[in-house]
Amino acid sequence: MAGRAQGASHMKLGLGPIDLKGATRSRLESLGAQAVASSFDAVWVSESRAEGVGGGLASAAMLGQAVPIRVGAAVDAGLYHPLHLAEDIAIADLTSQGRVEVLLRFATTGASRYREPDQHGWFEEFLGVMAAALSGAHFQWNGEHLRVPARLSANQPAPERLALNPRAAQPAVPIWVEAPGESLEALARDLGFGIAAHFKPGAAVPARTGRWPGMVLCRANADPNDLLAAAGESAGYFLIAAETRQEAASAGKRLAGPMRMPDFPEWIGHE
Amino acid sequence: MRLGVGIFGMQSVPQRPDHHVKLYRDVLEDAELAEELGFDSIWLSEHHFWFDGYCPADLPVAGAILGRTTRLGVGTAVMLLPMHPVQKVADDATTLSRLGEGRLSLGVALGYRDAEFDGFGVQRKDRGKLMDGMLPRLAESCRAAAPPVPLYVGVASAIAAQRAARLGLPLFADSTMNPQELREMLAAYNAAAAAAGVSSPHAHALQRDVFVTDDRERDWAMLLPELRYMRRQYGGWSFPQEPDETVPSYLGRLESDIEAKLKNLIMGDGAHVTARLREFEELGFDLIVCRSQFGNLPRESLHRAFEGLSRVRGDLAHWPGARRAPLT
Repeated sequence: MAGRAQGASHMKLGLGPIDLKGATRSRLESLGAQAVASSFDAVWVSESRAEGVGGGLASAAMLGQAVPIRVGAAVDAGLYHPLHLAEDIAIADLTSQGRVEVLLRFATTGASRYREPDQHGWFEEFLGVMAAALSGAHFQWNGEHLRVPARLSANQPAPERLALNPRAAQPAVPIWVEAPGESLEALARDLGFGIAAHFKPGAAVPARTGRWPGMVLCRANADPNDLLAAAGESAGYFLIAAETRQEAASAGKRLAGPMRMPDFPEWIGHE
Repeated sequence: MRLGVGIFGMQSVPQRPDHHVKLYRDVLEDAELAEELGFDSIWLSEHHFWFDGYCPADLPVAGAILGRTTRLGVGTAVMLLPMHPVQKVADDATTLSRLGEGRLSLGVALGYRDAEFDGFGVQRKDRGKLMDGMLPRLAESCRAAAPPVPLYVGVASAIAAQRAARLGLPLFADSTMNPQELREMLAAYNAAAAAAGVSSPHAHALQRDVFVTDDRERDWAMLLPELRYMRRQYGGWSFPQEPDETVPSYLGRLESDIEAKLKNLIMGDGAHVTARLREFEELGFDLIVCRSQFGNLPRESLHRAFEGLSRVRGDLAHWPGARRAPLT
């Protein structure tokens, strides 16, 4: 295989994200069980608030009780106060004993169900406040859109700083950002978040940021050669969007060996 | 009558500090025990930005409990709604209700601590107005969810009860209210519902501090520091110092209030607790959420109390005289 000789030793594979729209507990648990059986590193769910489907992190917390592997939530960011999202992340991580991963998608459509149309700089401030809160440090934020604590004169005097408490179980929850623009992507990198993108033939995996490899969202029938070529010399985190147990099993069989083990013998287990 | 257990905030209290990883592991085990013992439901509460790490986000915990159990209901007691984006709460609850196969309930209330409102950029003085706008939206979403999400309105006053009455929503009465206060509040509720032309729900939920024990002396010595901590910390937020009041005077007033509130604790053997809980059923409460977890009790004490309460649950279920009085 073309990509085998390349630096593919740190590839990660996630199953999903499973669309929460119409999802049932049995479907989540069935796909979660298949993710474990097929040697995926994680199983992911996805909310879609533009369609009224929330609860990504609560659902990941639920799924975390059914599987021993890591659980991810693709969530719509920038729709409400970032402290709420930071709190959801920290608590979901605690309930799973430190196995939560997050993909932030900045919604540019459907936001009107939640807030006024996008204002310049709001997404950047959202990300900054969320990162500050997840650090667990006492912090203060004085931005154009957000002031934390608000120190509103109508309220009794509040402390000058606040801290998210409790903190997440992991020292740093792995978070990727699918950014709608270059400035937000640059900020996400500065803040230490990974970068995510949808798979496109010929396009490279986003560059690693700190501890996190670039993430690529792929279809269930992804070809390992294409993914290895996209990763090149770097590592990658590939989310495989299988819809059924059969698709998940097939994807695991085709991808897990070649993606994780560069010297995987060709004569083992190929379809 | 249904019995729920709680109220879990997963705090790491000064008198018994624990890592939050352990506290969240514990609450999931407690939920499994609650299900095994036959309780109707388990209830969670929230506060924000406090040093003991009081849980600030109940729905992820509810999700984990729903994933760990198969029959047990999970509720919020209570979510501080004016601090939350109501659309987020509605969308989150709808998804969780579907995944949890109808086992999620929401209790919502105003909240009262200025620093929490301030963290989210909300003026505390606006909380009633915000609640007036949010409750109808949330109620509509909860009714439309499949399965529907039972929505209770947390109350500790007649004004709050009247707000719920106008929307035909059942109450989740605060643990600090004594039977006489509860009667008066229910009367105000019914009058407001009638004036609004709204049909009242048949029954309401009530939160009570309950501790079943076979050794009152031993457990009272264990509980008292925990109860005082709870009332000083969280009760103190709703009991502010007056502008012209000295600190010693304020502390004296606070301690008197604490002593008065401690009298609402129902503590004793199974027969005593059964008899006391029947009084509340007669008032019109068909769900009593028994708070036996105060802060972070020793595990063996909490589990002993749960087991005692499960026997009370059996006695109440088999009580031949069980009936519901009209809410007048």
